Formats: sequence, C-alpha cells, structure tokens
Amino acid sequence: MQPTTTIIVRPWNAATLILRITIISLVIITGYAFTTFNTRGVDFWAGVDMLGSNFSALLLTPYLKNITFDVMVHNLFITIGLGFLTTIFGAAIALGLALLAAQNLAPRWLTIIIKGLTAFVRAVPTVLWVLIFAVSAGLGSVAAVLGMTFHSAGYLIKAYSESFEEIDNGTNEAHKASGANWLQIVFKAVLTSSATALLSWTFLRFEINFSTAIAMGAAAGAGGIGYDMFMASGFYLNLHEMGAFTYAVLAFAIVLEAGATRYKASLSK
Amino acid sequence: MPLLQIAQLSKRYGTDKYALEGIDFTVDTGEFVAIIGPSGAGKSTLLRCINHMIPMSSGDVVFADASTKSFNATQLRAHRTQIGMIFQHYNLVNRLSVIENVLHGRLGYKSTVAGVMGWYSNAEKQQAVEILQSLGLSEQMYKRCDQLSGGQKQRVGIARALIQNPKLLLCDEPIASLDPSAAKIIMDTLKDINQRLGITIIVNLHQVDVAMRYAQRIIGINSGKIVCDAAPDAITPTIIHEVYGSEAGELILDFGEQYAQA
Ligand SMILES: Nc1ncnc2c1ncn2[C@@H]1O[C@H](COP(=O)(O)OP(=O)(O)O)[C@@H](O)[C@H]1O
Ligand SMILES: [Mg+2]
Repeated sequence: MQPTTTIIVRPWNAATLILRITIISLVIITGYAFTTFNTRGVDFWAGVDMLGSNFSALLLTPYLKNITFDVMVHNLFITIGLGFLTTIFGAAIALGLALLAAQNLAPRWLTIIIKGLTAFVRAVPTVLWVLIFAVSAGLGSVAAVLGMTFHSAGYLIKAYSESFEEIDNGTNEAHKASGANWLQIVFKAVLTSSATALLSWTFLRFEINFSTAIAMGAAAGAGGIGYDMFMASGFYLNLHEMGAFTYAVLAFAIVLEAGATRYKASLSK
Repeated sequence: MPLLQIAQLSKRYGTDKYALEGIDFTVDTGEFVAIIGPSGAGKSTLLRCINHMIPMSSGDVVFADASTKSFNATQLRAHRTQIGMIFQHYNLVNRLSVIENVLHGRLGYKSTVAGVMGWYSNAEKQQAVEILQSLGLSEQMYKRCDQLSGGQKQRVGIARALIQNPKLLLCDEPIASLDPSAAKIIMDTLKDINQRLGITIIVNLHQVDVAMRYAQRIIGINSGKIVCDAAPDAITPTIIHEVYGSEAGELILDFGEQYAQA
C-alpha cells in the first residue's frame, strides 16, 4: 500500500493557463467599462423606463402611417428577392467550385488553393464586400447583390465541399472501378448522395441572406423593407410603423422556417 | 487459355515496405480462384492493381492478351468495363432504387452526357430486370437500397457488376459483413455465375473453409508474397500455418462453428 497523495485531475498546461488569463482579463475589462461609462447625466432607472415605453410602442401598437400595407408587402418581397437571388447566384458558383475543393474529388493542390481563397472571402464580412463593390458600382442594389453573392459563394463552397467529403468513398470507388468517368461519378454518386445536405445548407444561407438583405436595404440603399425601417426609425421617428415592419419580417421568417422544416422532412423520407 | 497474367507485380505505398512483392500468377478463363491471407497481407491491394484502382509500382498485368501497364485514361476505362468489382460494404448509392444502382454498372460504356443524364437503352433496362430476376430481387426492384438487408445489398452489388458483361469478377471480402446464411447465398451465387455464365472469378476471403469449399484454386499470400498456389485438396494444415502464421489455429476453429449449421 502506498501512502495517499493528492491526485491532480487537471494539470497545468498552456491551454488552461491561456483560458484562465482570458477569463481574468475579461472580468477586469468589463468592470472597468461599467465604472467609466459616460452616461451624460441620464439616470439609469429613467433609461430603463423609456426603453420599456419604446418597446411597448414598437410591439404593442404597430400601425402604418407613411406607406400603405400593399407597399409594405411589395417592399418585403423586394428584400426577399434580394436574399433569394444572391443565394441562388452564390449556390450556382459554389456548386462547381466545391467539387474542385473536395479532397475526395480533386487533386490536393487544387483543393488547397480553392479552400484558401474561399477562407479569405469568408473572413471579410458581407457588409464590407458590399462596400468594396460600391466603389465601382455605386452604393445601391447592384453593390448589394455582388457583395452578398460573393460572400454566399465563399460560405457555400466550404459547406458543399465538406458535404461531398462526408459521403461514403466506397460508392465513388465502385463507380470508378466499373469504368465511369469523373463527371459521371459526380452526377450519379456524389450529388445524389449529398443532395439533402446541399439543400439544407442552401436554406440556411437563404435565412442569413434574408436578414442581411434587410440590413443592406438600410445601410447600402438597396431598397426593400430595410430601407422603410431605416426611414421609419431615422427619419420619421415612428416606432409604431417600425413595429409593423418588424411583424412583417417576423411573419416571413416563421413561414420560411416552417417551409424549410417540412421540405427537409419530405426529402429525407 | 489465360485471361489474366500477373507478372512480377510489386506495389509500394510511398516509402513504406512493399505491400506486394514480385507477384506472379496466371488465371485461365473460367477459373474460380480464392485469395486467402491474414489481414494486411496485401489481398485488397492485389485486386485493385488488376483494375488499376491502385497504380502498381512495377511489373505488369496482362489482361485478355493486352499489357495494361501503359494504358492511357480511355484505355483504362475500357479495361475497367471488362472487370466487375464487388466490395465488402457493397458500395451502393443508398438513396437510389435497386434498379438504378444496377444500371450504374453501364456508365463505363456511355458517353459523359448519356451517363450524366441517365439515358439507358431499353435493352439495358431489360437486362437489368433479367439479372435482378435471376438473383431473386424482382420484388425489391423499386425499393431504395437503404431498405435492403446486407445479403440483398450484396446481390445488388453483384447485379451491378454483371450488367457490365464482365470477363472477370473481382470480389474483395464479399461475405465479411454477412451472417452465415446470407454468406452462403452469396457464395452459391458466385459459384453459379462462374459455372453458368463462365465468368472468371477472383475472390479475396478471410475464411479458409469457404475458400476450400468453393474455389478450384487457392492462392495464399502473406506480407505481400505468394506462399502457396494450389487446388483445395492440396492445401494442408501446414500450408495454412505458413499463410496465417500464429492466427491459423483460431481460424480453423472459427469456421467449424460458423458453418456447422449453415
Ligand atoms: N492507401 C494506403 N496507403 C498506405 N498503405 C496502405 C494503403 N492501403 C494499404 N496499405 C498497406 O498495405 C498493406 C496491405 O494492405 P491490404 O492490401 O489492404 O491488405 P488486406 O486486404 O490483405 O488486408 C498493409 O500493410 C496496409 O497497411
Ligand atoms: Mg482487404
């Protein structure tokens, strides 16, 4: 029998040290920020009270004033259209490039090049791509379509190529062994096996693009319901109208979610 | 008449030790050959060198009197259409129906466009139906492959290989994932294909007893080299011992139990 010693379950190493330092610094920074806010003489509780009344104006008493219901619905569809178009464009570009980025389908050097470039495209936020394209196209819907398409393609290339890499390689091997060529294998084995995954990713990106399209309507002047929201909040200062737009967006988001869920369920049956 | 001649075939993965070294043998048309050996011996590598799924390092594979060593891409495709391959894990497209999977065996004969679009002639569809009938899969024809049992999946794999009208079937551990009764059906099917259609068969097997029962000839390999090449009745326990090393005892016990009831 040996004498009992303390058993260390989690020994000190670089990872735990870095984690501890990070947590401690975050606590210090947060404390510092809270004690040095410039409140410009606004009382905290008065602020909370106003926040409450703003939210009740927004959410409990929505109505339209400066535009009609028809115009609002029309503009909602412009935003949906922007999200849809950029998703479809992005998906079309991504499908081809993702095949060349998948390790089980393309030579290694090519996959590294494409994956590296798309990592760069994804690292720059969508809004920044829109602003970059605005330099040549001018701020507006064209820059929004280009920038959003660009980022969607980068995102979907990664998602699609990983879906391709996940499929069972044996199926590809069997087709190759029977004399099928690369394109035949891609269409007959790879795309059929990964169709559900590809559609899931595309839907997810459409959801992202829809919300980006709202922001672009306001920030990049791309029109649609985002622009109406920008006007209601920044120009007319009408929270009731803002509330109506919020509910319109929410309604579409719910329809989209329900539709996507059902569609996926019917696919995977 | 020799269908296949393997001449001084060697294969080395990167700078590892040789997976196959100086393999030499000839297979005649209509033969049923079993390749046995412990796992890692090089059985799968050998089969895949025959249809160039794995490039060989040196030596040659002569198939139907043609040296395949320096085949270009088009010649390789044509070479592969002549050779059907069957896998341990069936390797079917699970989402597709049985008959679609079988028709995929024709892709090698098609132009890219016809293959991608799935344009199959009536004769091809007719042949698919007949093959499925002969393998007892008529009722499963329109089922999705993921709804089938293992034994049924393997029969679909065999049907997909047969529709190539192959001269040779390469089977890589076709019964390793099956229960004894399904395994027996598959081995009987292969035997029947060999005898009725005259198709040459090379099958990798882990089970010595199955090899002894079905094959006309057994090639034993160990560490990438041929240790024996003989008819089943010439295979003695000493030879099995040479092929399998220390694993041999367990293997023979194993088969006695497994096949007693089958
Ligand atoms: N893709 C590969 N890369 C490197 N080594 C491999 C590869 N495939 C097989 N090997 C090695 O080659 C040897 C033979 O393998 P394999 O042909 O699969 O044997 P078996 O089918 O008899 O079990 C083994 O030592 C294995 O580790
Ligand atoms: Mg093997």
